[in-house]
Parts: sequence; C-alpha cells; structure tokens
Amino acid sequence: MRTLGEISLLTAFVGSGYAAFACIAGWRNGRRGLSRAGMIAATASLAALTVTIAVLSHALLTKDFRFHYVEQYSSRLLPWQYSLSALWVGQAGSLLLWSWLLGVLAFVFRILASRKANDLHQPAFGFLMAYVCFLLATMVFGVDPMAANLAPGSEGVGLSPLLQHPAMLIHPPVVFLAYAAWAIPFALAVSALVERRSDRAQPVNADWIRLARPWALFAWAVLGVGILLGAEWSYEELGWGGYWGWDPVENGSLIPWLTGTAFLHGLLAWQFRGILKKWTLALAIATFGLCNFATFLTRSGIFSSLHAFSKSPIGWLFLGLMIVLVAGGGFLVGRRRHGLSPEQRITSLWSRESQILISAGSLLLLAAVAIVGTTSVALSEAITGKRIVVGPAFYNNVLIPIGLALLSTVALAPLLRWGRPPTAAQRRMLRTALIVAAVVAGAAWVVGVRHPLGIAVAGLVGLAVPALLGCLWLDAYRIQPKRPWAAVPAALAAKRRQYAGFLIHLGFVSVAVGITGSALGSRQHEAVVRPGETIEWAGRSIRFVKLRQDERADKLVVEAELEIAQAGAPLIHLRPAQHLHRLQNEWTTEVAIHSNWTGDFYTILHNGEPGGAVRLTLIENPLIRWLWLGGAVIAVGAVLALRPERSRHAIRNSKAPVAEPHALKRRRRQSQHARQEEAVLT
Amino acid sequence: MTTTGIKLAVGGVVVAAATGYMAYLGASTSWQYYLTVDECLDSAADVGNSRLRVHGKVAPGSLAVAADRTRAVFRLTGQRGSLDVVCNGPLPDNLKEGIDVVVEGRLESATSLHGDRVLTKCASKYQTASGERR
Repeated sequence: MRTLGEISLLTAFVGSGYAAFACIAGWRNGRRGLSRAGMIAATASLAALTVTIAVLSHALLTKDFRFHYVEQYSSRLLPWQYSLSALWVGQAGSLLLWSWLLGVLAFVFRILASRKANDLHQPAFGFLMAYVCFLLATMVFGVDPMAANLAPGSEGVGLSPLLQHPAMLIHPPVVFLAYAAWAIPFALAVSALVERRSDRAQPVNADWIRLARPWALFAWAVLGVGILLGAEWSYEELGWGGYWGWDPVENGSLIPWLTGTAFLHGLLAWQFRGILKKWTLALAIATFGLCNFATFLTRSGIFSSLHAFSKSPIGWLFLGLMIVLVAGGGFLVGRRRHGLSPEQRITSLWSRESQILISAGSLLLLAAVAIVGTTSVALSEAITGKRIVVGPAFYNNVLIPIGLALLSTVALAPLLRWGRPPTAAQRRMLRTALIVAAVVAGAAWVVGVRHPLGIAVAGLVGLAVPALLGCLWLDAYRIQPKRPWAAVPAALAAKRRQYAGFLIHLGFVSVAVGITGSALGSRQHEAVVRPGETIEWAGRSIRFVKLRQDERADKLVVEAELEIAQAGAPLIHLRPAQHLHRLQNEWTTEVAIHSNWTGDFYTILHNGEPGGAVRLTLIENPLIRWLWLGGAVIAVGAVLALRPERSRHAIRNSKAPVAEPHALKRRRRQSQHARQEEAVLT
Repeated sequence: MTTTGIKLAVGGVVVAAATGYMAYLGASTSWQYYLTVDECLDSAADVGNSRLRVHGKVAPGSLAVAADRTRAVFRLTGQRGSLDVVCNGPLPDNLKEGIDVVVEGRLESATSLHGDRVLTKCASKYQTASGERR
C-alpha cells in the first residue's frame, strides 16, 4: 500500500506540473491541443492524488503502523473518527488534504466556469494546478506522508487528548478548504491581469468579477466558520473560559479573513460603480498570499505561539511564495494601472461606496495591526536587535474603535444607495432608526449596562435592525404602495442577494454582541467545596453533590456533580471533569457549560483536595451564545447569496454579469468612454 | 479630488493616526522581551525588572506541581544553562517534563524566574526540521 501511495503522490506531482504548464501555455498561445493535454494531465493528477489520500486514510483507519505517519498520530485504542482526523493533525497529512481539496475545488471551478462564457477559466485553472504542484512538491521533496515506520511493532504514539474533540473533526479541514478556495479568486485576478486584450473599452477583463464573486464568498464564509469553530474548540477544550487569545496562529487565519472581507466589498464597488479596481485586484492576491503567510506562521517555528513550536523548512517555502505573490501581484497591478482607472467619482459621503471605502479601510487597518503584532518578534529584532512580543492589549485597544466603525457602516448600509445620498424616504427611515437606536441604548442603561462600549454597541444594534427593516419596507412599498406588507416576500425575492448580504451583516452584529457582552461582563470565582456543601455566587446556589470516578479502557474520568439553582429557573446539573489519558499519561480539563441567550455558566474542575473537597473555577460569560449564533447566521446568509440568480439556460446565453442592470449601464458608459478616448487619440 | 474624496482622505488619516496611537498605548502596557534561556542568562542585568517571555525545555526530573495545580516549580533549560522557575497561576493540562514551554514573568535573580503563566506547545504536532516528533 505504501508503494502505491508513493507512486500516486509522484504521479500527482508530475501531472499537476505538466497540467499547469500546458493549460497556461495552451491558452497564451491559442493551442487547443496543448490545453486539452493539460486537462488530461490535471484529471490524472487529481485521480492520483485521490488514491494517495485514500491510501493514507485507509492506513489510519486500519491502524497500519507500517506507515510512520500512522504510528505518530494514531494508536490502537483511538476511536475511528479521531483516527481519521489524524489525517490533518500532522504536517504531511494536512498538506496532502489541502492539496486534494484544492484539486477538487479546481475541477468544480473548471466545470462551473466553463458553463459561463468567459476567457479566464482556462488560465485560472492552470494557475490552480501550479499551486497544487507547489503543495505536492512540499511533500515529494520535504515531508513524505508515505514514509515507512522504522520502529515496527509500535502500537502508535496516539493523538493528543486535546485534539479529541468534535470541533477538531471539522475545524482544520474547514480552514484548509477556505485556504484552497481563496486560490480561485487569486487565480482569476492574475488571469485577468496577464490576459492580452484588444478591447479598449475594457482593458482588464471584468468577467473575473462574476467568476470570482461566488468563490470569494464561499471562501470567506468557510474561513469565518472555521475561525469560529477554532474559537469554540478553544472555549470548550482548553478550559480557560475564553475563546480568543490573539495567538499568532489565530491571527494567521484572521488576517486573510479581514482582507477577504475588504476584497468582497471591493468587488461590489467595482461591479456597481466601477471604482476601487486596483485595490480589489490587489486584495484578491494579498488575501491568498496571506493564507500562505498563515501557513508560514504555523510551520516555521519562529513565532512565540501556543501552536508554533514546530520548526520546519516547509514554512519558509510558504513565506517565499507569499513574497513572490505580493511582489508579482504588485508588479502586475502597477503594469495594468491605466486600464484600472475608476469609472466614477465618489460624490457623497452618505453613499454605499463611501461606506464600503470606510469599512474596507478599517478592515485593512485592523489587518495591518494584526500583522505588526504577530510579527513583532521578527520586526523588533530587525529594528532594535531585541525580540519583543506584544500582549492582547495591543490588539484590543485597536479593535474597539475599528469594531465600532465597522458596526456603524453595517448598520447604515441598508438605508444608503449607490452613487448618491439617501432619498427623502430613506432619510425618514434613517431618522426613525436613529430614534430606535437611542431607545435601545437607553434601555441598555436601564438594565444595568454602564460601560460606554456596551451602550454604544447596544445603540448600533438598535440602529442596524430597524435600518434593515426600513429598507425592506421601502422596497415592498415600491412594489405595492397600498399593501407593502404583502409585498415583503416579493421584495426579498427581487433583491435576494442584497438581503442575503444584509443577513450576513446581521450575523456580524450578533457576533459583535457576543464579543462585547463576554468581554465586558465576564466574571469568575474560585472555590474549594466539600461534598454536600453549597456556595452562593452570581445569583446562583451551587451545590457540590459528589465526586465520581469512572475507569475506562483508555482513560480515567474524574467528574464533580454540581447542582445549580437560580431563582425562577429549573435546577441545572453540570459535571466538570478531569480525564487522565493513559497512553499519553496526560490530564485534560473537561469543562461543563450551561448556556442560554443571557449567557454561559462555565465550570472547571481543577483537582481533589483533602477531605473529599474539590477546587472549582466558576465563570459567568454573558451573551456568548450570540457569538456562535452570529456565525450560523453568516453561514446561512452566505448560502442564500451563493444560490444562482438566474436559470442555467439564461446564464449560458449571456456574457453579462448576472442580474445586474447596473453592469449593463456601465458597459454602455464604457463604450461611450472608449469612443470618446478614440476621438481624442485620433 | 472631490470634496467627498478630501473628506474621506482626511478622515482616513485621522483614523489611521488614532489607530496607531491606540496600538502604541496597548503595546506600551503589554510588551515583553522574548528570549531563550541562554539569552536570558546572558542579558539578565540588561532586562532588569522587565516582563519576559522565556522559551526553554522543562528539565526531566525537575517538575513539581502543587496538588491544586496553581503552582509549579521546575528547571527551564537551554543549550548552555538553565533557570529555576516558580510559576504561580493556572497551569496548562499538558505541562510535563521534557517539553518546550514559554514562561511569562520577571527575573527574581540572575538564575531564577518568577512566572505567572506557562504556555505549552499546541496540540498540533507538526514535525521539527530534524523530523523529531513534537
């Protein structure tokens, strides 16, 4: 089996390299035969890659310890689902999974894009295969997932107990899926930049926008969900009561998400107003480059991180790739800058494009701060000769003003329009929404919120929701002035993508509520309690019933049974525990959480004390469920936004951007502009 | 540039400056030197009472953890020397001998470090350059 894996890995590497060359050269020189050969090589490469990953998965599931990788990350007693998850725990396995996901997405992209008339899917596919080849090269010349186990007879080292958590079954592959998906907008942006065109009206092919948009949205939503799953794992498994520590590896995935958010809004500004073109292309390249930077952070071992004690030359390859991408992308955008001039001017501060500019600027500022903080060790050493790291205060200080700016733009967006200030009707709705915002902020004060940040966020939530409802009402009113409420479904259907976007905004608002509530209102208490003893804390009576011990095949489970009573609420039973994993001889803390919409009651068992007592940490985290709800709402919004707008037949027969009358208008304007330019030149 | 463009540019400069200032304030209250054990021993006089983040390995046979897991005593080793560490505060589940850790705290003397936080390596187990399992 190992030999099969080795051969298929090598075949995939050679096939992807040839496919990249043939697809790009065939497109560049108009040689269809070469392009076809490239597709055949790409298909063979993906088939071989599938065989490789199947071989390693099979070895993990059957505990075939002849594989070095299986011996390192699995064990006889490991449940099958965690055996399979070991595929993405190690360096070689995660690279293999990433390259396979990229190969699959590249083919899905090729199939979907070829149904839309365009000139860019072929070179973009070639660039994607080049990236598959790069990832495979790291395995062929670096870490070999098929390497033989030189210590036969081993029962396996096993998977770290901390990784034996349901979130870890999903979080890493989801993040790798997102990193793979971000390669598609990048490949399209580069294809648009290198394409030779004779169309003077459109020197840079704007088709890339409609091809890139769904993939950018998919990658963005998947990365966001992946980040939240990682936060949830940290919250439930690491037993410290928090979910985000501004660790370099956490920042590594957050930074491309921030630039990706700016990129998505840049696409809208280009699509609707023909502005921010250079920025949008640069952001497509930068976001993909930053995915590689995140990989460098994880695998180089030069950063002080909870995760990054690993040292590997692989990480430097990703940094090198990122530098090449950023330098090359900057050169390409600079070279095509004349074809990327804005078609419109921004004429009102209270237009959507102005708010997009403000939000994109804020996101990039936050990304820049995160990059500086994350690389502070290397930066400070280069400047001062001493290595300095910055703490969470560095990021949190910046997050507050930027977060409020972002929340403001999100709240205002529904009642603004493209190109012009709001209409009189929109202004009336805005005034009403501002009154509601003031009432909500006042209500927050009345219920006991005293922190200015809490009141500001409450006010902005109070602005965002009525602004969205007001927008919906105005759209419905336009359809049926006499019975607008009856026209709400029609208004939603008519502008489905817009409302899907606003739903994503609402998800962001929910995330902001969760972050603000848990950051401002969190409190904790430590106590030593004896069996049968009750303590009073945070309006609750907490009774320690007894300590239980349970001997299992792979671990010893010690859990404290707690009964928590609160006035007006049913009795709650929580069982925080400590597990001793025999194979690793490692204790893990298993927290117990009672969650509702007002907050979480989080309990940690530390250890036993003399006399049968136990030491507990109790934490109250207000509103944290809204954080996870926000993630779910964002995912639903993204799915709604990704649904095709028109029938496949209509798309096949049209080169125009999907369902965007503005784009047709813009094309007319571009033609007029080109004619004027020609007149000037002649 | 239009009036709106000027307003946006001025606003952008103001926000960027304010962000930079807020970041500076945050950094000035939270920065720490990041040192290996050997660097810490070499520059003990220079770092004085500054907050440190010291990276080393927990020496085999040196780790003693209090029953309530709120205090640990161990020797943190580098290539050439070692530091005696007393760490008060919550300890990570996977703290054990022979692993790489980072200790946050201040030097009490040239060879002893008083820590308030220990960071162990992540559960992710990527390989070292030499192929050693982490």
